[in-house]
Order: sequence, then structure tokens, then C-alpha cells
Amino acid sequence: MDFEDPEVLIRCRNLTLGYGHEAVLKDVTLDIPKGIFLPFIGPNGAGKTTLLRGFLGLVKPLSGTLESPFMKKAPGYVPQLKSIDPLFPVTAREIVLMGLYPRLGWWKKPGDKETEEVEAALQELRLTAHAHKNYRDLSGGNKQKTLIARAWVSGADVFILDEPSSELDEATEREVFHHLNSFVKEKGKTVLMAHHGLTHPFLYQIDEVCLVTRGQARIVKSRDLARGDLHA
Amino acid sequence: MSEAAGIWSQILDSFPAALTAGLLISAACSFLGVFVVLKRLVFIGATLSEVAACGVAVSFFFGFHPVAGALILTLASVTLLAGSTSEEKIPKDSVLAAVFIAAASLSVLLAAKSAFGLEEVKSLLYGDLILTSGHDLGMLALTVLPAAAVAGVFLRPILFTFLDRDEARILKIRVVIWELVFYYALAVVVSASSKLGGMLLVFCMLVVPPMTALLLSKRLVPALFLSVMFAWISVASGFYFSFVFDFPVNPVIGFASCCLLGAAAAAKRLLRL
Repeated sequence: MDFEDPEVLIRCRNLTLGYGHEAVLKDVTLDIPKGIFLPFIGPNGAGKTTLLRGFLGLVKPLSGTLESPFMKKAPGYVPQLKSIDPLFPVTAREIVLMGLYPRLGWWKKPGDKETEEVEAALQELRLTAHAHKNYRDLSGGNKQKTLIARAWVSGADVFILDEPSSELDEATEREVFHHLNSFVKEKGKTVLMAHHGLTHPFLYQIDEVCLVTRGQARIVKSRDLARGDLHA
Repeated sequence: MSEAAGIWSQILDSFPAALTAGLLISAACSFLGVFVVLKRLVFIGATLSEVAACGVAVSFFFGFHPVAGALILTLASVTLLAGSTSEEKIPKDSVLAAVFIAAASLSVLLAAKSAFGLEEVKSLLYGDLILTSGHDLGMLALTVLPAAAVAGVFLRPILFTFLDRDEARILKIRVVIWELVFYYALAVVVSASSKLGGMLLVFCMLVVPPMTALLLSKRLVPALFLSVMFAWISVASGFYFSFVFDFPVNPVIGFASCCLLGAAAAAKRLLRL
């Protein structure tokens, strides 16, 4: 369902999501505000990815309502690295260019403007030197940044990331978080990100997280989560 | 005139339709085959080739046009396969295996009851380009060229659908439609090629030249061109050596194609490409 609210980005009311007839998340009621960096934290199998895929429209609600502005303007999606088959002979630049599909369609060649935008996105993520490398030959960090650049070039206001740092070392993870944080602080974007836990010092600087556990999801203060004050 | 030039002159004079048919079949199959290999759906190539051969057997048995028989069965199979999703309990390659076995069995059963028997089964499996008539060539061009052209024109949405299905859906690419466009194009090319190419040659062209090209190219568009180029070299070598050694042409093309793959793999290893 499409809606617009000056404060709320996504509104869920008694939302049940799952696969087939099996519910993974039940009766979730949640308002996600605009312009925040919101990690979705919880144990494996809790339903973080299912909830984000629900926001993206990739998993249909079994019941309840989910309102978002994504029918009008697609969000930038950053999947897990393994979602791109390394067999495909495509360069980092070609992957980034994919983000311009809504404007280019199936026939239009990228013009000067589109080429500049792709170069700017590659530069923003410090990927210019790797632009012509095959995606499969990139390091985990550069693969992740390529997928972020693809989301960035699409001009999306909202970025949805599925475990973006699951295969990264700590230094690269910090760099990725730095980029995502700059999108929120400097460019007014919203970042929603599935993450396995408060495992990185950067995440303690964030005010709120969405705790996904036991088939439920709610926004909590990250300091309460860190202190263990929460009773799920 | 050198000996080779003399042989080529005789091939071009005696079998122009056969050579053109070989080039058309190999170009269309090897072009689409790049996606078959990239999607890890090599078994679909074998299955569709077998289904098309079965369609030819059905049409021989009931007395209608072989291309029509092959086309009906391959389009039906592709629709069935497109309908089976990854969420279902039976994996897609198992469905393909069942279709393959059904098609292979039916082909043999129909051939056993026909007047020609074993010869007909051999013809379905191996085909014979040399028997290409002007009418066959016309039919082939009218079906194979538009089907391959559709896949070429819509390369971008087909590539994005295969490369990252979820992202493609988010970008509002109609993934189900583009998948069907590709599979229907594949079905048309395979069914139109089967009567002349036989199952062996069609399957070979869907798999071996694309593998050779993907081994040597790190980019998609060059890989598509290289695949067609290797397929054409195989066809030209096949015609040449079958003429020189008096072999049936289709298996020689298949063997030449595999030799090229072996040579490319060895060159890549030696030169560390």
C-alpha cells in the first residue's frame, strides 16, 4: 500500500509475514521514522531479512497492513554479496549502471549525464580504481561498496541493506558503516539495515535499533539493549 | 589453388544451404547458450533438445510438419518449467530430468512403431545438415533469426533478471515476463534447429561454444560475440573434415567444438589468462 507521511516512512499494523502458510513474524505494529539509521537486530532466523523483504515488496503480507512510499519511488536495495552469481562476467561499473534502469529502460544508452552519475557514485564509494574489474574479482568490501553504489546511483531516498557486513573484516565494516552514516547525516537519507547484533562499536553510537525476536519487532533504545534491560 | 581452397570451393558449390543452416543454428544456439551456461541451466539445453527431437518424432508419426511438432512440445515444456518455482518441494533439475526421460522414451517408442525404426531414432539424435533443402533453410531463417534477435534486443532486462532477480523486481523489471521471453526464444530456436541439427548438435551449440567464450572473456558482450565465433569455427571445421574424411557432418562439428574448448582451456592455463 502506498502512502505519504511527513514523519513516518513505513507503517505496519498487525502485520504478519512469512512463506507459504508459515508465519515468521506475527502481528507486528511498527512506525519507522524518516531520516534515521536503523539497524534491525536479532538472532539468526528471527525474521530480520523477512521483515526487510516485506518492506521491499518481495514478501507479501499474510495479514495486516504495510504502508510505504516504495510504489512511487523504489528504495535502494543492497542484498547479501552472494546474491550476485560470480559466474556472470560483469564489471563493478556495469553493476552500478543497473541502478539507472528505471530511467534508461531496456533500450536507452547511458548519456553523458548518466555516465557522470555512475562515475560520481563510484567516486563517492572510492571505487573508481576498481570500476572496470570483474565483480567476482573484487574483495568482499569492494563488492559490498559496489552494491551500495548501485543503490546510491538510483537516486533512492531510502537504503535497505541485508547484513551488509556479514562477510567483511572489522576495518572494512567500519568503512561501510561510515559511508552509510554519511548518507543519513549529510544527505538526509534513511538507512534500514539487518545486522546480527550490537557487535561493532559504531552501532553503540546509534540511538535506536529495531529488535527482531520471537516473531516480533519493536524499536528500542540501543543503550537499553546494550545494558540488557530489555525483556523480550 | 591450394588443396584446402579446392575443398572449400566444392563444399560451397555442393552444400550452400547445409552450410548456411549450420551457421544459422550455431549462431542462434551459441548466443542464447551463454545465458543457459550462466544461469547454470545446462540441463535445460539437453532437455529442450530431447523434447524437440520427440516433437519431430511425433510429427513423423502423425504426419504433420516437424517444426510444428517440435515447437508445440518445447513451448509446452518451457511453460511447465517456468511455472515450477524454487519454493516448491521438487527441484527444477528433477522436473527437467523427468521431462527429458519422458521425451526420450516417447521418441524411441514412436520410432519403433514407424516404418523407419532405428534409422529414424539415429536421425533424431544426430540430425543431418547435409540434407538441408532450400525450404528447410527458409523455415529455419524465419524462425531462428527473429527469436535470437528478440533475446538480443532485450538483452538488458533479461541480463538484470538473471543477474539479480530481487533487485530487478525492486527496479520494477517484470522478471516473470523477461524470463518467459528468454525461454520462449530458446524454445523456438531449439525446436526450429532440431530437425536438421539433431539433439546432439543443438545441445552442443547451446553449451560448448558458450563455455569456450566464457573461459576466455571477462565481459558479457565480448563473450556473446566470441561464443558465436567459436560456434562458426566449429561448423566450418566440421564441414571441412567431414568432407575430407567422409564422416557425417554433425558429429564432426560437435567434436570440433569440444576440441576448441580443450584448446582454449589449455591456452588459458599456459598463458595464465
